[in-house]
Amino acid sequence: MDAGRIHGVLGQNGAGKSTLMKILIGLVTPDSGEIRIGDQLVTITSPQQAADLGIGMVHQHFSLVDALTVWENVILGEGGMRLDRKRARQLVGEIGDQYGLAINPDATVGNLSAGQRQRIEIIKCLRRNPKILIFDEPTSVLTPDESEMLFRVLRQVVQLEGRTVALVSHKLEEVLHATDDVVIMRDGKLVASMQTSGTKPEELARAMVGREVKLRGATPSSAPAVSAAKTGTPGLKIEGLSVSSRKEGVELNGLSLDVYPGEIVGVAGVEGNGQRVLADVLSSLRSFNAGTIEVNGVPVKEGGAGAMAHVGIAVIPEDRHDSGCVLNMSVAENLVLAGLEKVSQRGVVDADTVRENAEKLIAEFGISCQSPDAPMWTLSGGNQQRVVLARELSADPKVLVAAQPTRGLDVGAIEYMGDRLRLAADQGVAVLLISSELEEILHLADRIVVMYRGAIIGEMPNKDVDLERLGMLMGGAQ
Amino acid sequence: MTTSKGVLTRLKLTRDQVELLGLYVLCVVLALAISALLIEFNGSSWTRAVEAIFDGAFQSKGRWGETLRRMAPLLIVAVGSIVATRAGIVNIGQEGQLLVGTTGAAFVLTKIQPGNPAMLIVGLIVGAIVGAVWAGIAGWLYYWRKIPIVLSTLLLVYLSSQIASYTLTRRQLLLNVVPGEPNRLLLSDVTAPKSRLGIIEIFGNKFPLSVPIALLIAVVAAWVLTRTVWGFRLKMLGMNPRTARRAGVSETRYGMAAILVSGAAAGLAGSMMLAGGESQYKFSSGFASNAGWDGLLVALVARNNPIAAIPVALVFAGLRSASTFLSVAGIEGVLVDVVRALLVVALFIPPAISELRRKRRALANLTERT
Amino acid sequence: MLAFMGDILSNGPLYESTFRLAAVLAFAAVGEWVAERAGTINISVEAMLLGGHFGAAIAYTESTNFALAIAVGAIVGMLVASLQGYLSHYLSADQFGIGLTLNILLLGVAAFLQPKFDLSTKLANVVEIPLLSDIPKIGPALFAQRWPMYLIYVLIPVIWWLVMRTSWGLEIRAVGEDPQAADVSGINVNARRRQAILIAGLTSGIGGAVYLFGQVGRFESSNIGGKGIIALAAVIFGGWTLRGAVAGCLLFGYVDALRLNLPNILGYSLNSQLLASLPFLATIIVMLIFAKHTRQPRALAQPFIRGLK
Repeated sequence: MDAGRIHGVLGQNGAGKSTLMKILIGLVTPDSGEIRIGDQLVTITSPQQAADLGIGMVHQHFSLVDALTVWENVILGEGGMRLDRKRARQLVGEIGDQYGLAINPDATVGNLSAGQRQRIEIIKCLRRNPKILIFDEPTSVLTPDESEMLFRVLRQVVQLEGRTVALVSHKLEEVLHATDDVVIMRDGKLVASMQTSGTKPEELARAMVGREVKLRGATPSSAPAVSAAKTGTPGLKIEGLSVSSRKEGVELNGLSLDVYPGEIVGVAGVEGNGQRVLADVLSSLRSFNAGTIEVNGVPVKEGGAGAMAHVGIAVIPEDRHDSGCVLNMSVAENLVLAGLEKVSQRGVVDADTVRENAEKLIAEFGISCQSPDAPMWTLSGGNQQRVVLARELSADPKVLVAAQPTRGLDVGAIEYMGDRLRLAADQGVAVLLISSELEEILHLADRIVVMYRGAIIGEMPNKDVDLERLGMLMGGAQ
Repeated sequence: MTTSKGVLTRLKLTRDQVELLGLYVLCVVLALAISALLIEFNGSSWTRAVEAIFDGAFQSKGRWGETLRRMAPLLIVAVGSIVATRAGIVNIGQEGQLLVGTTGAAFVLTKIQPGNPAMLIVGLIVGAIVGAVWAGIAGWLYYWRKIPIVLSTLLLVYLSSQIASYTLTRRQLLLNVVPGEPNRLLLSDVTAPKSRLGIIEIFGNKFPLSVPIALLIAVVAAWVLTRTVWGFRLKMLGMNPRTARRAGVSETRYGMAAILVSGAAAGLAGSMMLAGGESQYKFSSGFASNAGWDGLLVALVARNNPIAAIPVALVFAGLRSASTFLSVAGIEGVLVDVVRALLVVALFIPPAISELRRKRRALANLTERT
Repeated sequence: MLAFMGDILSNGPLYESTFRLAAVLAFAAVGEWVAERAGTINISVEAMLLGGHFGAAIAYTESTNFALAIAVGAIVGMLVASLQGYLSHYLSADQFGIGLTLNILLLGVAAFLQPKFDLSTKLANVVEIPLLSDIPKIGPALFAQRWPMYLIYVLIPVIWWLVMRTSWGLEIRAVGEDPQAADVSGINVNARRRQAILIAGLTSGIGGAVYLFGQVGRFESSNIGGKGIIALAAVIFGGWTLRGAVAGCLLFGYVDALRLNLPNILGYSLNSQLLASLPFLATIIVMLIFAKHTRQPRALAQPFIRGLK
């Protein structure tokens, strides 16, 4: 990598880009090979050492401690004995001013939005005055405006201060837009390296996946021209759903929503408007204060564990480690978690059926794993997501809720997920797609509803979508 | 590719096992060496101690029957705590659950219809229920008020010995007043002869029926935990409660069931000790004599595997039955506590190391692939 | 009833023993607080207390020097802590199993070795702090104690400062909340956790020694009998704040003192089992009332292996 430029590192999930970056900051030790900084050969064994060598990383997630304040997080890990609160707060202010990343140093991180957290990450990283900055999927949690601002900061860091930036991403436009050079990784190897200007997206995509892919936006929408008729009983009918808690206040405020069998309804909205709560309610993880939920016209008895799964609501959760899979159980076991009745007789689990089921689904969904008995945690993120998808769809659900189903996935996996959701809808499942990526919703949904402050405030069919009105609705304007 | 990899993993596995075995031997030898030093330091001879342990545990006449008799409660307690651990619950109050459960059983076995053999069954059931209720308090405190089970079960241990003592100060409860003797002994009456566990005799070794029952419990538990839907769901709950909840496993119901089972096991273990002849069929406040703690340690050393718990329980029982022989050999009985604790620490180390290495290696493999 | 309450409130010895018993709990609780903030539920705090108690008894018998004996107590406490720390945060063995085993081991070792030493210990001198000890009621309780007791006045602010006002303390707190994030920030998670346990060993070791010289005077292996566990409860009761933990110690110390003084106050003896149960019963009841709304360190009792969630 040359100094003073922004380098894009592009690749599919599992292509080895995060491993490469983890090696650079000392979280993973390489089996062979060497790293040079300048002319100096180095081995990096810990994050601390990486910092000493001038490598800093802005993580996609988990490098901030929620319970601590902003300034505490910024100076965390610097060692030394004295905790100079005044200096640290001043520092946050200074760096914030310098790069236009203003933030209140005394705020508790847990209360801040994703965009604000990333500011802290960047401040924390710049604070150590690194020569090389690594950004791991920096925009996946940002609004378009915030992303724009981030790229401005990157430009400044590179052009005015001569630092080197590596931008790890799976998003083509972003890499095209923000970088000077780009390298493309596939299967743990560098497959291409080029200057960004003058490169076409199709070229990058081909190098990334190793074959032709259809890009989003290349065709306007893959949604069927004639949307499934809104007749008969809705597969999922939510009426007046309200959730509030002492800690968070009102989280869902009389939300009403219908999803008919055979259609995909996209829930658009800026993150933090109750999407997560809605998904949690439909996962029977939260109870609600008021309202009804009906599946095929039958009201769901609320409250019990697994009540939603029982009536045929399948969920692909936003965070699969949280409620999608059990990392310490095997792949085969993870594939039957919710459907134990099917693989057991009189309360006894039939190991053969479990295995057959696993082999069938592994083949059908192209899950790459050592064996059905391999623990779930040995799988890569994309494959874990496929396990979740395979299990949920194999339960023959009436309703499928997909919450941010493609977050952190690469082009190929996104394409696959989209096809699967469409296929499910075509087979008569009522699909509810909750996503903060508007593009994804425009691409997949038949009907779009907008969620704002815990309620649905607008609806439009995808075929005559009015983007301007959609944007205003997302901002809360009726 | 798959075949070569398969062979490799198999080779690696055996190498792992050899390593693990080596580590076990090393750690145990080390623990024993420290124990020997302690004995020498205390002015006794370690060779005599070893002899006494071997004699006491199985060499002398009738001793392995004694060891088996002592194994039964340890195994049952261990199986109970394994069930709790599966559900992700850290119940470490078995000592108290055992004692309180036995208090209940003692009341039935000494005071109610002494001539009725059916009272044996009633006594054992009452013992199990009382143990379950005692553990259930901790479960209730957790699910209702989020008080950590580790803490509440421990606190309840201290309460349980006071409860046992109290029942032994009241004639209408358990105290046995022997005419002409001062009332200081705080012992219960002997249990009714008709409601005692049957004794099996093989080659001059006598042990009560609790031994085959305990073995049966261990085997059944192993089957239930690995093969049934209930066991599967318990495991799911222990490993990821939120995923389990979505899949229809109620944390309160399954978690509470697990802790009740572990308490019942402890109560049953104690009741069978009493009905099987422990301290001449008499109950006292010191009756549990660490059987609850030991059972818990058995579960931990056996890495929460009910079948592995059988040999571990046997070793622990051997040490227990050796302690009387040690005193005869002029070495204090508490030594056994020390040796056992050192052994436990030693037995913790090898699987921890190998687990750590296994995970690190698997992680390295994973990062290779991605 | 009112008269009874009056008796309790005006009972000087009650205040004094409340302080003494609370102080012992506080020594253990302060260290346990650090360990728990770093993410370990350290039930071997009981063994650390006992280790300090026994170590100090031996050291005093051999040297007749209080300061030296307290130092030895601290060292023995830290020895136990290093075992706990090494096994649970280096080898990742089950922290509760290790803690429990250490509790049993220390009890066994103490009982086993006690006859070997002809232990002779005594109480340290009472030192009255002028002026402060003249405050009615609480003055004598807080400021006319055997001098080792005063160590708690030093220890509490020092430990608080360490955890809340130094970089090291910040790292300790981060490690207990989010070890993954702490690791990525360049903190050696398991080393910090071991150090936190060592602090627990240090303060509990001192506590065990102080209990010997400030309260009981003679070593018995049964002296500690659950005090560590109650200290642990005090930390949880206090919602993982030091202030709350100390308040918990005072409360539990008061109950313990009540147990010792109630017969004198009432003028007749109560059921001895009930009295002996009182501290534990009160602990449970108090936790029942207050425990629900506290926020615990998020990674409490979760082992950390790099790369594994």
